[in-house]
Amino acid sequence: MIKRYDLIVVGAGPAGLSAAIEAAKNGLKPIVFDENAKPGGQLFKQIHKFFGSKEHKAKIRGFNIGDELLREASENGVEVVLNATVIGLYDGKEVTVKIGEEILHYKGDSVLIATGASENMVTFKGWTTPGVIGAGAAQTMMNLHHIKPGNKVLMLGSGNVGLVVSYQLMQAGCEVVALVDAAPRIGGYGVHAAKIARCGVPFYLSHTIVEVTGAEAVNGVTIAKLDENFKFIEGTEKTFEVDTVCVAVGLSPMSQLLKQAGCEMKDTPGGFVPVCDDSGATSIPGIYAAGDVAGIEEASSAMIEGRMSGARIANYLGYLDEDALQARLAELEQALSSLRKGMFAPENRGKLVTKTEEGIDTSMSLLEKGYVADDEIEKYPGVTKGSGVHPVIECTQNIPCNPCQDACPKGCISIGSNITSLPVVKGDVACIGCGMCVASCSGQAIFLVEDDIGDGYGTVTLPYEFLPLPEVGQKGIALGRDGKEVCKAEVINVRSSTAFDHTHLLTMKVSTDMVMKARFFKAE
Amino acid sequence: MIDIQEKLKEIGPYVEAADDDVLVCRCEEVTKGEIRQAVHAGMFTMEEIRRYLRSGMGLCQGQTCGKLVKGIVARELKVSPLEIEPATSRAPMRPTEMRIMAQDGGGANE
Amino acid sequence: MSKMTADVIIIGGGVNGCATAYYLAKQGITDVIVLEANKSVGHGGSSRNGGGVRQSGRDMRELPYAMYAVNNMWPTLSEELGVDVEYYQRGNLRLGKTDAHIAKLEGMASKSRELGLNMNVVDAKTVKEICPYLSDEVIGASWCPTDGHANPMLTTLAYYKRALEMGVRFFTDAKVKKLEKVKGKLRKVILESGEVFEGETIIVAAGYESRYIARTVGVDVPLFKYFEEALVTEMQPHMFDIMLGTADADFYGHQAQHGSFVFGSDSGLEDGIDMDIDELKTSSLTVSAGCRAIMGYIPLLANAKIVRTWGGWIDMCHDGVPVISKVDEVPGMILACGFTGHGFGTAPAVGLMLSQMVMGKETVVDISALSYDRFKSVR
Repeated sequence: MIKRYDLIVVGAGPAGLSAAIEAAKNGLKPIVFDENAKPGGQLFKQIHKFFGSKEHKAKIRGFNIGDELLREASENGVEVVLNATVIGLYDGKEVTVKIGEEILHYKGDSVLIATGASENMVTFKGWTTPGVIGAGAAQTMMNLHHIKPGNKVLMLGSGNVGLVVSYQLMQAGCEVVALVDAAPRIGGYGVHAAKIARCGVPFYLSHTIVEVTGAEAVNGVTIAKLDENFKFIEGTEKTFEVDTVCVAVGLSPMSQLLKQAGCEMKDTPGGFVPVCDDSGATSIPGIYAAGDVAGIEEASSAMIEGRMSGARIANYLGYLDEDALQARLAELEQALSSLRKGMFAPENRGKLVTKTEEGIDTSMSLLEKGYVADDEIEKYPGVTKGSGVHPVIECTQNIPCNPCQDACPKGCISIGSNITSLPVVKGDVACIGCGMCVASCSGQAIFLVEDDIGDGYGTVTLPYEFLPLPEVGQKGIALGRDGKEVCKAEVINVRSSTAFDHTHLLTMKVSTDMVMKARFFKAE
Repeated sequence: MIDIQEKLKEIGPYVEAADDDVLVCRCEEVTKGEIRQAVHAGMFTMEEIRRYLRSGMGLCQGQTCGKLVKGIVARELKVSPLEIEPATSRAPMRPTEMRIMAQDGGGANE
Repeated sequence: MSKMTADVIIIGGGVNGCATAYYLAKQGITDVIVLEANKSVGHGGSSRNGGGVRQSGRDMRELPYAMYAVNNMWPTLSEELGVDVEYYQRGNLRLGKTDAHIAKLEGMASKSRELGLNMNVVDAKTVKEICPYLSDEVIGASWCPTDGHANPMLTTLAYYKRALEMGVRFFTDAKVKKLEKVKGKLRKVILESGEVFEGETIIVAAGYESRYIARTVGVDVPLFKYFEEALVTEMQPHMFDIMLGTADADFYGHQAQHGSFVFGSDSGLEDGIDMDIDELKTSSLTVSAGCRAIMGYIPLLANAKIVRTWGGWIDMCHDGVPVISKVDEVPGMILACGFTGHGFGTAPAVGLMLSQMVMGKETVVDISALSYDRFKSVR
C-alpha cells in the first residue's frame, strides 16, 4: 500500500522543521525528508550569533538554534528521514524518494517544499581552477568537517554571507587578504564588515576578479577596479598571492520540484520562485513552499515562514479552525515583519539609505571601506563619553536587533519598542563594567571604555572570538577601526563565562588618547 | 509573438569578445562565446540554447550555470534576464543510478 | 515587423516545418513564414523523440521515402546544413527474447525485403557479434544495417538556423487560432493574439494541434494524442553506435555521440493518461519501469545515472501513418501531420516532398497513399 501522510516536508532545514513542528503541534502527522546525513540545513554551519529579538532567538548561535529545533521536532513526534532524496514531485502530491538502494513512493494530503537555495557562481578567467570555492562550501569544510579551506583567501562578495564567512575563515586560522565586491557599497550589515575591517582586512568595492591563476590549483588572483558600466579600468589591477578564492555572490532558490509539479512560478531578481501567498500556498492546492526556496532571506525569517505554512496546512486539512489560524498567523506575521524592517528591509534592497531613522547621516566610510571613520563615530547615540567605565555602542545602521537592551542588568541601554532603532546609552545610569552587553551583541559592536586608569592610560574591553586567547600581561598592538596600528597595547584582563557564550571579553590598556580609536588587539 | 528575423537585425551580428573562451557550463564544457554565437544564430530561449549546445544538460542539470547562461542570453538579446524564461525542471532532481531507479516496487506488477 | 504575407506559410516549427522551409528556400522560394506556437522552435515531438533514423519496421506506405531519406539525404545532411546533426548509420537491432518475438520480427523483415530493404532476422550469436553488451536472454533480433540515429534537437535547430540564414521568416510564440478562406481559396492564418498572416499556400504541420487548426476550415483528420516518455543517462564510455529496439516495443534507444544513452520508456499505462495537451508532466511510474526494461536488455547500464526524464505528445494517426497531402477541397492547403511517433527519421524526405508539392512538382517518391481523404467513403 502506498504510504500517505498528512504532510510531507521536503528539506529538514529551519523552514521545513519549523513547519513540521507547527503542524505536529496541531495534531498532524508530518514526515520530513532530507537528502543530507544531518538535519538542520545550513543552521549547523552558522557559528555566529543571530540578530533579532528574543522571539527570533537573537544572540544565540545558529548551530544552537539548530539543536533547539531538532529537540522540539522530536518532542512533537516529527518523523525526520535522513539520507532521503526527493527526486520527483508528481500529480496527486506524490513524491518519489531515493532512500538507500531503492525508490519509495509517498503521497501527502499536503506537501511543503523547503529545499532552500544553492550558491550562485560568477565566471572569470580561471574560475574552474581547484581552489575557487563557494562560501557555503568553505563554511561546510570549516564548521562541519573542521577542515581549513586554505591558508590565504580572497573573498568575492560583501553580502552577509561574504562578511560572515570571511570572519569565520579568520577564526579558522586563514588569512583573508581582501574582500572584493563589484558593487560600489558593502551589501551586508555594517557591523559584520566592521569586525573584519578592524582585523586589517582591506575592502575593495567597485572591484572584481580579472583572473585566477594556477594550473593545478589556485596560486594567485588579480582584481581590478570597475567603471560605472562595470568595465575594468586599465592600470588598476592588483594581484594577490592566494591559494583559495571564495565566492559569495548570492543564492538561488532550489525550486525545481515546484516547477516540475506545475506550480505557477515567477522570475525575480532574487531567483526563480513559486507564486505563493503569505503562508506559502502555491497555485496548486495543498502544495506549499517556505524558506529560501520561496525567496532568499535569513534563517530567522525561514523559521517563521515555516511556522506560518505549518499553521496554514493544519487549517487546510481541518486540524485548526479559521479563528485559531488567523490568531496564530497574526502573531507570526508580526514577528516576521519586525525582521523585515530597517535599512536592509526588502524594499531597500540595492538602495542607498542616506540617513538613519534618527536622521543621522549614514557613514559612507562604513559602506565603502567597511568601518566607520573615527571622526564620524561620535554622531551615533550609542557612542557616549563618561568618566568611569561605560559602554560604547558602535551600532550605526537600523537593523532589527535588540538583545543589548535586555543584556544590561542596570538598564543602561535602550532601544525602545521599535526594534530597528539605534541603541542609546543612558547617561544617568551607572555602568558596572560587567560586559554582558559586549557579549550579547551579535554584531560585536559594543565596547567598554574607561578613559583614565591613571598614568595616562585607559582601557578598552572588546569582544574576542579567536584562538589562541591572549593572556593577561601579553603585549601587542592596538588596531583601529580601519585595522591599522594605533598604539601599543597590553592585555590586562580576559574574561570568559558561560553567559558570554564563547565570546571572550578582552580588556587592553592603551594610552588615554587612543581609547576611542583602539578597537582590536593584535598580539606581537 | 516574436519576429526572429527582426530581432536578429535589432541585436546585430555576433562580435567576438575577449572573454569568449571562458567556460560557462562546466559539466558540458560550453563557453561564453558558443552561447553568444548561438543567440545570433537564432537560439533565443534557454530551451533552444541547451538543445543546441547541451549547456545545463549535464550532471548538475544547470544548477550552476543556468543563471549565468540566462545572463549571457539576455545581454545578447538586449533584454532583462527576467525576460528569459528558465529551462524546465525534470525529474530526477538528483542523478540516480538505473539499478536504484528500477527498485521502486513496481516490478512485481509487470 | 516584417511583412505578414508570404508565398508559403508553414504552421508548426517542428522538424518537418523547419525542413520544409529549408528545402523551399534551397529551391529559391524564400518568401516563407514559419509560425511556431511555442517560444522555442522544435518544442514538440521534434525535441522529445529518441532520434531513430529507421527504415525497418516501417509501414509499406512509408518505407519508400524512409529509404529515400537514408539513401539520399541523411549521409550528407550535416555538411549541407553546416551543423553536425550527429548522424550514425550503424544499423538497427530489434531484439527478441521469445519465439513469438522472433516470429513477429520475421514477418516485418520479409515484408521489408519485398520493397528492397536489407533486413534479416539474425541469431543470438550474431546479435552478440553486432553488440556484445546485450543480455544473454536475447535469442535473436532483426537486423537492418542501413538504419541509424541522429540528434533530433540539433537536426531541427540546424534546419531552422539554415532556413533563417536563407531568409525564411520565423515567428515564435505565435499560436494559431484559425484559418480562413478568401474567395474559395485558403488564405488567412489568424493567431490567438489577433495577428493575421496571409499566404498563397498554407502547410499545417503542427502535430496533434493540426487537428484543431484544420477543423477551422472543415477538414477533420482522425488523430489522437498519446503521451510518451524518455530518459537520458549521464555520459558513459563509448559502447556502441547502433540503434536498439525490441519486438515488444518496451523500449528503444541509442548511445548519443556525447556518450549519454537516450531511451524511450513507458509504464504500460499510457492509454489511461488524462492530461491536457498543454501539459508535459511525466508520471511517477514510467522512469522506473523504463529502467527495468533497459537493464533487462543491457545489464551493464545498471550503474549509469539517469539525469533527466521528459515526455511529449505524439500525434497518432488512425491507421499508423501520417497524412501528407494537398487538400483538394480547400485549395492552397497542405496537411503534414499524424506522424505517429516516427516522423523524425523521415523529416528530410517529408520536408523535400512538401516543398515539391508547394512548387507543383512531382514528389521524389509516390505518397498518394498518405492522402488526407483515405478515411472517407467517397474517393
